[in-house]
Amino acid sequence: MRQLLTLLTTDLVQRLRDKSVIIFAVIVPLALMGAMNLVMGDTMDMDLETATVAVSAPEDDQLAAQLIGAIQALPEGGLEVEVTETSAADVQALAESGDAKLGLVIPDGFSAALMAGEPVEVEAVEGDGSGIESTVVLSVVQGFLDRAGASAVAAAAGAELGLPPAELGGLAQQVATGESAISMTTGEASNEQLDPKGALIAGQAGLFLMFTVSFGVLGLLAEREFGTLARLRSMPMNPHLITLSKVLSSFVLGVVATSILLTAGGLLFGVSFGSPLAIAALIVCAVIATTSLTFIVIKLAKTSEQATVIQTILAMVLGISGGAFFPMSGTGLFGTLLDLNPVGAMIRGLGITSGGGGLADIGAPVLILLGFAAVALVIARFVPDRGAMA
Amino acid sequence: MTQTATEPTTTGDGQRVLVVDNLVRRFGDLTAVDDVSFTVAAGETYGLLGPNGAGKTTTISMIAGLLEPDQGSVTLLGQQMGPKKAAPKRHLGLVPQDLAIYPDLSARENLNFFGKLQGLAGGELKSRVGEVLELTGLTDRAKGPTKDFSGGMKRRLNIGIGLLHKPTMLILDEPTVGVDPQSRNAILESVEALSDEGMAVIYTTHYMEEAERLCDRIGIIDSGTLQAEGTRDELIRLTGGVDNIQLTGSGDTAAAAEALLALDSVAQADAERGHLQLTVHDAPTAVAQIVTTATASGLQLSDVQISRPNLESVFLHLTGKALRD
Ligand SMILES: Nc1ncnc2c1ncn2[C@@H]1O[C@H](COP(=O)(O)OP(=O)(O)O)[C@@H](O)[C@H]1O
Ligand SMILES: [Mg+2]
Repeated sequence: MRQLLTLLTTDLVQRLRDKSVIIFAVIVPLALMGAMNLVMGDTMDMDLETATVAVSAPEDDQLAAQLIGAIQALPEGGLEVEVTETSAADVQALAESGDAKLGLVIPDGFSAALMAGEPVEVEAVEGDGSGIESTVVLSVVQGFLDRAGASAVAAAAGAELGLPPAELGGLAQQVATGESAISMTTGEASNEQLDPKGALIAGQAGLFLMFTVSFGVLGLLAEREFGTLARLRSMPMNPHLITLSKVLSSFVLGVVATSILLTAGGLLFGVSFGSPLAIAALIVCAVIATTSLTFIVIKLAKTSEQATVIQTILAMVLGISGGAFFPMSGTGLFGTLLDLNPVGAMIRGLGITSGGGGLADIGAPVLILLGFAAVALVIARFVPDRGAMA
Repeated sequence: MTQTATEPTTTGDGQRVLVVDNLVRRFGDLTAVDDVSFTVAAGETYGLLGPNGAGKTTTISMIAGLLEPDQGSVTLLGQQMGPKKAAPKRHLGLVPQDLAIYPDLSARENLNFFGKLQGLAGGELKSRVGEVLELTGLTDRAKGPTKDFSGGMKRRLNIGIGLLHKPTMLILDEPTVGVDPQSRNAILESVEALSDEGMAVIYTTHYMEEAERLCDRIGIIDSGTLQAEGTRDELIRLTGGVDNIQLTGSGDTAAAAEALLALDSVAQADAERGHLQLTVHDAPTAVAQIVTTATASGLQLSDVQISRPNLESVFLHLTGKALRD
């Protein structure tokens, strides 16, 4: 254990003295974030768009009118709202066509049901282009219903779920008849979506993590080039400690660099990723996943040039397909593969935490990241050793 | 990761520290080391003398447990050596042929690092690092990164690291290659001193002068095979043990040659102008009688030169080629 610690600390000292880690793991990605932020300009701005809401409400219903009033009062809080009152059928159509970001159908007998304490369902339909604005409006609706005492909002991200409108009603019903009198579901997707700046920071952090962890492998190859590998192997210790120390070194660098990137990026661009504990768990799992790849690279690369090439290819493929530059989506097998991407999983996880999710909510991305690590380690075992330690 | 330090045992082998037994190592079709066996005793310096590519480093690598032999075994202080064997490596100090130091670390940091891996700690580590810095003459330069060192300083540090833990068996693989004459002499002197302290040493080289000066016994290696082994004198006897004596003087060289040829020790005598070239057995013993006989036959000697075959001649004799190209 002492020897492992000696190997690790001496390796880290050298990585830090040779400034390239600091440059590639922290400075370059931060600079890139800044540059991309400038290029993307206005679209990156957090300025909220006007929330267009189509509402159908029963006539002469007092509480329904109050609910609409509450939505219309939103501009006082800084969000522009445009409310169109129309028929229930039109609400569906407007939301699906995207003319309205959000459609709300307030049922007949709304006031009466609320006052009787019976379950009430407000059907919410999120349009294709719906974003954070719809979420804000929905939270107002939910807040209203909460205060009203007993109600339910069944919301379906209709277009996104791809369900026929007839089934949406059924879904809403199911939600409404659940145990709780008040229940609300919103489209899962909007919960996991980072705003563009957050996505930029998370994406770049994920991409550069792939490069940062490669410094451990490069360190091992450097040992060979310095001739110190022979000396290390003549030391009274298990020779596996040499490889292990490099992998740990990658791990430490990865955790530190990613933490710095998310913190500094968040501060610079005014993004909050949410619960520090959940973020920390995500970072650790993402670093485990990416570091596990270095076991494969160690076996394949004979020289630092080869290692750099392999690692760059892996970083670009996983980074781009994981959505480091722009969101990626796919269907079928391709879609599944994209879902299993560690960079993508990390970005999704940060989406969940930024939306207020805690440790309990990031199970899926954590499992994907750890699963990825397990698979990489198994592959590494079966790759023939022709690299640094051969 | 606990280490069980095993006490050195020399039982059975008398004072043999190292036993190398029938080592074979192949790289593809090439047999780099072909059935090499030898032993080294405490306080003994064993030389592996051979040209580049002879198999010295490959042999050393198996002895130091860096490389798994295809056949054969290495036993250090009674313990089986191998890449996964930690215990015997405590008694081993390796000075690799290629420099094995970290360029971004200082000399002290390099020594501290390897010292800790060798199991030194606390005050012992500190004092040993200080001693080795002193021994290698690097105390004044202990702080700067070693990438700023001269070649000789790097070599000295490279050797110093191998000595930190006072190993029972020190292995030096061509430690003087690319070193200025002054550093070279310092290195040779320190190896002599270590051997005097009782350290067993393996010293590989392709310089026959170094092997002659340092080594108690020498193995001559070529094409992966030990061609011959023994003390310097034993090896030279292999060439037939013929020495040369050149007499210079005035007088009847022809008569002197005839008189000298009658001696048992003289195999051949050729008279040249003013010189007499003799091929003799064991010149140091025979020279007195030769000088007396030559003088008695009327030769006035102004100079006597003895030249004996060296390891270079031995190598030539054994392999038919020169040690250095
Ligand atoms: N890792 C290796 N792979 C293939 N051939 C090797 C390897 N190491 C050494 N050799 C070959 O084995 C022979 C002996 O090399 P080496 O032991 O380094 O000789 P020396 O140290 O006496 O110069 C040489 O022909 C060399 O090219
Ligand atoms: Mg060599």
